[in-house]
Amino acid sequence: MRATRGEKIFYVVNYILLILVALSCILPLLNIVALSLSDAKAVMAGQVGLWPVDFSLFSYENLITGTPILNAFWNSVQITVIGTLLSMAFTIMAAYPLSRKQFYARRFFTMAIVFTMIFSGGLIPTYLIIQSLGLVNSYYALWLPSLVSAYNMLIMRSYFANIPSEIDEAARIDGCGEWRLLFRIVLPLSKPLLATIALFYGVGFWNSFMNVLIYINETSKYNMTVLVQNMIMSNSMVQDFSDPDLIANLTPEGIRSAAVIVMVLPILAVYPFLQKYFVKGVMLGSIKG
Amino acid sequence: MNIAETAVPELAPERAAEAKQRLKLQKWRRFKSNVPLLIMFVPVAVFFLVFRYAPMGGLVIAFKDYNFFDGVLNSPWVGFHYFEMLFQDPRTLEIIRNTLFLSVLSIVFGFPAPIILAIMLNEVRSMVFKRTVQTIVYMPHFFSWVIISMMVLTVFSLENGAVNRWVEAFFGEPYAFMYNKESWVAIFVGSGIWKDMGFNAIIFLAALTTIDPSLYEAAGMDGASKFRQIWHITLPGIRSTIILLLILSMGRVMEVGFDQVYMLQNSNVNEIADVISTFIYRTGLQGAQFSLTTAMGLFESLVALILIVTANYIARKFNEGLW
Repeated sequence: MRATRGEKIFYVVNYILLILVALSCILPLLNIVALSLSDAKAVMAGQVGLWPVDFSLFSYENLITGTPILNAFWNSVQITVIGTLLSMAFTIMAAYPLSRKQFYARRFFTMAIVFTMIFSGGLIPTYLIIQSLGLVNSYYALWLPSLVSAYNMLIMRSYFANIPSEIDEAARIDGCGEWRLLFRIVLPLSKPLLATIALFYGVGFWNSFMNVLIYINETSKYNMTVLVQNMIMSNSMVQDFSDPDLIANLTPEGIRSAAVIVMVLPILAVYPFLQKYFVKGVMLGSIKG
Repeated sequence: MNIAETAVPELAPERAAEAKQRLKLQKWRRFKSNVPLLIMFVPVAVFFLVFRYAPMGGLVIAFKDYNFFDGVLNSPWVGFHYFEMLFQDPRTLEIIRNTLFLSVLSIVFGFPAPIILAIMLNEVRSMVFKRTVQTIVYMPHFFSWVIISMMVLTVFSLENGAVNRWVEAFFGEPYAFMYNKESWVAIFVGSGIWKDMGFNAIIFLAALTTIDPSLYEAAGMDGASKFRQIWHITLPGIRSTIILLLILSMGRVMEVGFDQVYMLQNSNVNEIADVISTFIYRTGLQGAQFSLTTAMGLFESLVALILIVTANYIARKFNEGLW
């Protein structure tokens, strides 16, 4: 079928608009990359666009030597890795029983969990619980309250429930118990979904800001989001320098940009591998029930 | 089970015994497989009790004069005292109004955006182009607000911001985007849309694949223009997904994400940018006014609950309810 004139115009406009949207997503990032790799003078003069001017790694050097970014990076890694593992374990432990038809009170528990999605105690009562458990200023205050996201649990439950029942009936006749069924059959069959949900949890922990702000008091325990936020808010983040020459060459903008890049890199590194999975995962979420 | 019991008398005695035996065995098997499932589920149940349901119980301090020494249970009751304070103080009323204003704006402009993007992507013929655009537009969803706010501040900065360089070239003077209320609200809403538009489009793209392509062919044959095809085929085809997500977004009318506001606000725009979540953080946690801010939190949760239940009730009238 040949496209009519109107359709041709429609397609051209559509392509142009989509290119603009995509550019709006990529240009700010390129700008920050360029700022982080440019010489301080060019940054201050506002000459840096999308390409580094007078290429220099000065901002990165100062970020690493003058700020506790490496410590914060390590904190972020700890928070993310342990948090994701714990959350995955608990989400599976919630989703698997609720996906079994023979599980007692399956409906009741599902409804009880769905209710927490539409009504919650809110920030202060949660804070008081965590305080009374003595978790303030420890990473458990970040991990424990977010062990199971009801939304992720529901996606996982419907995925498990959709595994053809012939497979697990056959396994059961062979004398396979529930634990073995879970580890040998259900989990291996759900790898793409597990990758998606691990990505959602991982990004959530990596980016966690408010909980760190609320529960972590010691600055040496800050993760990168809070540290970088502090850098953006105060221009005096580099205190260790007495060399006037250095200070003259230092731009907060350059260092901030470098910090943002350090924070984004791990996400960009895993993003292309996981993209096909999370698209599938979100689609599963759209299945009702 | 009932069916089996009523069926038993019709059978011969020995067959009945056999059936009973089988039923017993079935029950036993069910019980046996429930034991590991229950063991698995106990920690999860504890989690939900401690970190989800206990805080709901903790909401009682909205009706008490909470102090640290008496704790949640022993602090004295004050009835609706704190709610009266909330609804009489012009400052807190302003905060509630700001929250509603920003979130309603975000929904009005932010809800259609991913639908439009999904439809636009759906009309692309070149798969390479489509996939490239998708990869790029999903990305901001995975960035934290620290990164996004840094980008926003860089792009709209007064001194070296890319936007202000254009403004200067055309009008001679830069514009303080982050310090004027109107432009701040626009940037706030816009950045929220920009961050999640791509990711939220995924679900609509999935819904679009279920539409029968022969409908478009037939409509094209009858001379329907592209826009009429979108209006009469595409949109009705994803109607139930749209309604489902609209109900879910109703539950968020009372909340404005803390991270976003906290990182974009500044003292010049506080009048419009102070919302419930920042109020609870500042007054509750930093100012230790636990009861007052819990009352605010309870109000927020209740309104959200009422809105989502109402939206679902209306949707059910059209057979599209969430439950």
